[in-house]
Amino acid sequence: MSVASPADRDELNSLLIQTGRNDQKAFAELYKRTSSKLFGVCLRMLHDRGEAEEVLQETYSTVWRRASTFNPAKASAITWLITLSRNKAIDRLRQHREEQLGDPSRLNEIVDEQPTPAADAEASQEYRRLQLCLDELEPQQRDSVREAFFTGATYNELATRCMVPLGTMKSWIRRSLMQLRTCLDQ
Amino acid sequence: MNTPIDDGNNNLRYAEYVLGVLDADTRAAVAHEIETTDEAATAVALWQRRLMPLADQITEVAPAPYVWARIHDALQLDAPARVQPSRKGLWENLQLWHWLGIGASVVAAALLVVVSLPHLAPSPAVVSAGYMASTIQQDNGVTGWTATMDLQHARMVVVPATPVAFAQGHAPELWLIPAGQKPIAVGMIARDKPTTLTLDPTLLAQLGPTAALAVSVEPLGGSPTGQPTGAVIAKGAISGAPDAGDHTSKVASLYDRHAGHTSA
Repeated sequence: MSVASPADRDELNSLLIQTGRNDQKAFAELYKRTSSKLFGVCLRMLHDRGEAEEVLQETYSTVWRRASTFNPAKASAITWLITLSRNKAIDRLRQHREEQLGDPSRLNEIVDEQPTPAADAEASQEYRRLQLCLDELEPQQRDSVREAFFTGATYNELATRCMVPLGTMKSWIRRSLMQLRTCLDQ
Repeated sequence: MNTPIDDGNNNLRYAEYVLGVLDADTRAAVAHEIETTDEAATAVALWQRRLMPLADQITEVAPAPYVWARIHDALQLDAPARVQPSRKGLWENLQLWHWLGIGASVVAAALLVVVSLPHLAPSPAVVSAGYMASTIQQDNGVTGWTATMDLQHARMVVVPATPVAFAQGHAPELWLIPAGQKPIAVGMIARDKPTTLTLDPTLLAQLGPTAALAVSVEPLGGSPTGQPTGAVIAKGAISGAPDAGDHTSKVASLYDRHAGHTSA
């Protein structure tokens, strides 16, 4: 799936709108074009293929039922879809948060998701803007934001993983979010 | 520590919600706000727009084909036939197999119903995608066997439609022939009763509309060479699920009639 170009974006928007009108062909096409991205999102958060498959199925079932509530004026289709899959994956993570906290192998598991130069060239304009704003953050704080986004970890989990007090982690993230907003809304 | 937060805590909560750092209870509270107030919904949408581009960098991974099949089934797309709740012993019901045998053209489709019965949830389930079928015909056009492939559970059921005679010491062996490639042995099949075969990943990967199934005459233990050594007596193309959905409804209703008949 490529959603880097405005044309792709428009096509996905219209597929999602048609899906909202119970158009099964549009829904199948939407799945074809977006499921790899959404599965990547789920897999990245859940680290388990079976669970990621379940969450992906839940996600598209919800897409089918709620596509009629999609409003392209508020968000693009791909944002709407990724948000939905992330929310479902996070809900799943919270369900067994205790297991994860008790698993020492997950500590310090900061995965570097720094984009490769090639990926950067293909990235959307929106991503490049966000990356510029992220670059203005302190490295530790930037890493915390990325880790939070990609893994769906709670403040507590992030503090444990980064071996800093909870209060420090909260203030890193909150400060970063406010800085990002100021930078992005310019 | 002082933080340069120049905004209400609410807006921050929405940002934290979108980023995904809140615990279960706080998440639920924010989710409820989004449902009930426009202000929350708008603030969250703005944060999604700001942060979601990060997902651009997530590597795409294609999900297995059965995920779509499950979604398709769960949502009952294309209004495929409903299957009656499982009845015990159906698999062993010889009368049913005999009855199925009289209508070879619907046997493969009937298997869509039967094959899936062991996996049925207590509520009526739906059968459609995730299956392939093949009618394996002899040169004279008479159907020798029908095969139904359950992709999700990696198995195939082969049912004889017209029992074929074999010389002493010989038996039918089933082959999968991918387009333009050598036959791959699937397994020995019975000439007079259904055979269930497990499909290994290599076979599973080759199944599709460009591949064919064939039956050859081999020694009882199977071909000694790994390739067909005897005459190929029947062949059939493989078709996918859309066609099967149609048959399923037909068979499901036939099955109803049959069930009614036996209980009367």
